[in-house]
Amino acid sequence: MGPYPLGSSTAASGWAAADSGPQCSASEIDGLLAGAGYRVRSSDLLHVAHSLERLESAMGGAPAGYLASAEAVHYNPSDLAAWVHSILSELSPSLPPLRPPLAAPVAETWPDPTCFSSPYQQNQMAVVVATRQREEEEGSAIRLVHLLVSCADAVQRGDSGLAGNIIAEMRVVLTRVNAGFGIGKVAGYFVDALCRRIYSPCSSSSCSASVAGSAADQEILYHHFYEISPYLKFAHFMANQAILEAFDGYDRVHVIDFNLMHGLQWPALIQALALRAGGPPFLRLTGIGQPSPDGRDALREVGLRLAELALSVRVRFAFRGVAASRIDDVRPWMLQVVPGEAVAVNSVLQLHRLLGDPGDDAAAPIDSVLGWVVGIRPKIVTVVEQEADHNRPAFLDRFAEALFYYSTMFDSLEARRGAAQQQQQAVAEVYLQREICNIVSCEGTARVERHEPLVRWRARLGGAGLRAVHLGSNAFKQASMLLTLFSGEGYCVEEVDGCLTLGWHSRPLISASAWRADDDVAPLPDSQLFDPSIDATINVDASQQRQQ
Amino acid sequence: MKRRNTFSINDNVDLLVEILGRLDGRSLGVAACVCKLWSSVCRRDSVWEALCNRHVAGGGGGPGTRSVVAALGGYRRLYRLCVGPVLDRLAGGPGRAGWAPTREEAAHLSLSLSLSLFSIDCYERLGGSRQRPASLLFLCKSVNVS
Repeated sequence: MGPYPLGSSTAASGWAAADSGPQCSASEIDGLLAGAGYRVRSSDLLHVAHSLERLESAMGGAPAGYLASAEAVHYNPSDLAAWVHSILSELSPSLPPLRPPLAAPVAETWPDPTCFSSPYQQNQMAVVVATRQREEEEGSAIRLVHLLVSCADAVQRGDSGLAGNIIAEMRVVLTRVNAGFGIGKVAGYFVDALCRRIYSPCSSSSCSASVAGSAADQEILYHHFYEISPYLKFAHFMANQAILEAFDGYDRVHVIDFNLMHGLQWPALIQALALRAGGPPFLRLTGIGQPSPDGRDALREVGLRLAELALSVRVRFAFRGVAASRIDDVRPWMLQVVPGEAVAVNSVLQLHRLLGDPGDDAAAPIDSVLGWVVGIRPKIVTVVEQEADHNRPAFLDRFAEALFYYSTMFDSLEARRGAAQQQQQAVAEVYLQREICNIVSCEGTARVERHEPLVRWRARLGGAGLRAVHLGSNAFKQASMLLTLFSGEGYCVEEVDGCLTLGWHSRPLISASAWRADDDVAPLPDSQLFDPSIDATINVDASQQRQQ
Repeated sequence: MKRRNTFSINDNVDLLVEILGRLDGRSLGVAACVCKLWSSVCRRDSVWEALCNRHVAGGGGGPGTRSVVAALGGYRRLYRLCVGPVLDRLAGGPGRAGWAPTREEAAHLSLSLSLSLFSIDCYERLGGSRQRPASLLFLCKSVNVS
């Protein structure tokens, strides 16, 4: 079908004939469809979509000879709304009128969180009003998504003027949707991020630090996100299970945590080691974390608390903190790996920060980090990452992926809206909002949220010399049991080739996998691993790094 | 005339412990409200230990379990915060996420899961007053019976 020229006489007359309301201005006609030759009013988008669905099912049931009729009458499809309606009324003359008052099926992609009021027999009016509101909201929601994608497209093409106009229009639409939950809230965050990208872009890491806020803020946000949703708990439980199984039979064990935060993963491991058959081993924990600006040794405080817990359950415990703002600043000698101990490397949502732009020839930090990780010959490497593709080279692809991913994520958070923890939920959402902001508005070294899907991590980790370890059915059962404790029926655990993913309504959102060093990989020389003169918390500063 | 021997359960505390040790969690809470003696019996950790272990296949883990649980806060707290809510949730609905556990599996897993969550709770309490323990709030919905 070739595109019909805009403003052709047939189109104009068709439009005038169908238009019984006030004259619509050009801005009401949807821009993207107009580019393809179809004139549809933006307010009619939802209705036209539903009519097209009905048309499809009606044509499926049409008598065989109908479509090949010799007396075919051609309608100009550029007035899409009227065209669909005329075809439909021919196919099934008993059609309801152009704007049926009954509720239409909800679009699959955006589950509507508003409770659909059950139709009271004695109050039809309320039903009609509610469904009208719902239809309007759905229409606005579809419009919002449409506008977001076209704005991202404009940004990708460099047309900041058009992008700015679309943003203004989106803010108007946002006032019409309920911006407190659902697509309205997510769209609001994306609109803000787009604004930031257009008007104050940042492509250096110093700028992104101001966007991200202080390390202490980030810890608080992380803590709230941990409490309100099962994703981080799932990650910790799966990683601990793999580590526990890998440590079986060893008397001296060493865990290296790439992001200590408040150390919430480790009490469960300490307790499990305390109860393991044969008695607990000597546990060393090396926690890598952000340096604290005010001189407070946050890492040491966490270490002290963990030590107190370990003492109470009689597990011999030693802690070391490594303060580094980036993981690639860490060198293997800082970790003090002792020969003869079983080492576990634990990375929860950290490896993606080391990636670079795909297709960039320069070596990304991930390669050097994976190099020394493999070099210390760990018994197990636990990797937890977001299951999303947010590192694509094209901005529009990243944007669309992120929109889908975060709306699913927010949807899952809202499922427990009934529970009394609204404030915590709001703070947890800020945690996600920061990720959104980073993905959309930052570039270059500032963009650290470079999520990649599990398949690509498999290839990358396999290429670095790591072999996958299956997580086992015990882990799957523990994960399923953990989920039964969370309200919200939509969570699902899936097993994919020995890795576990946790998702919402069959969309995986986070994945947990375990690896170990391949046997034929050469270990790092001992001089790089062990330096007996180091004792206290190590502060890593680029100016103080010793040369290898 | 000889005085008839009247039997009162309150004179036989060991018997009382044996009987109360067979109750479920809610009934123990109710029993604790009867009188001071019953309340003190119901506060004994051994009663709650028996309750927790009853729901676990194999009698509740090895001998080290008791000292670990005691260090983390005791069986009564373990039941109130973890085991009780876990059992409630399991009883409430059919197996979700496509996996319906057998009774033994559920029992065994619920203990290990409860212990993990319990250790996190203990750890958060070590944080001092500036951090209110909140990790287990997603489990609790019932009235505090202790």
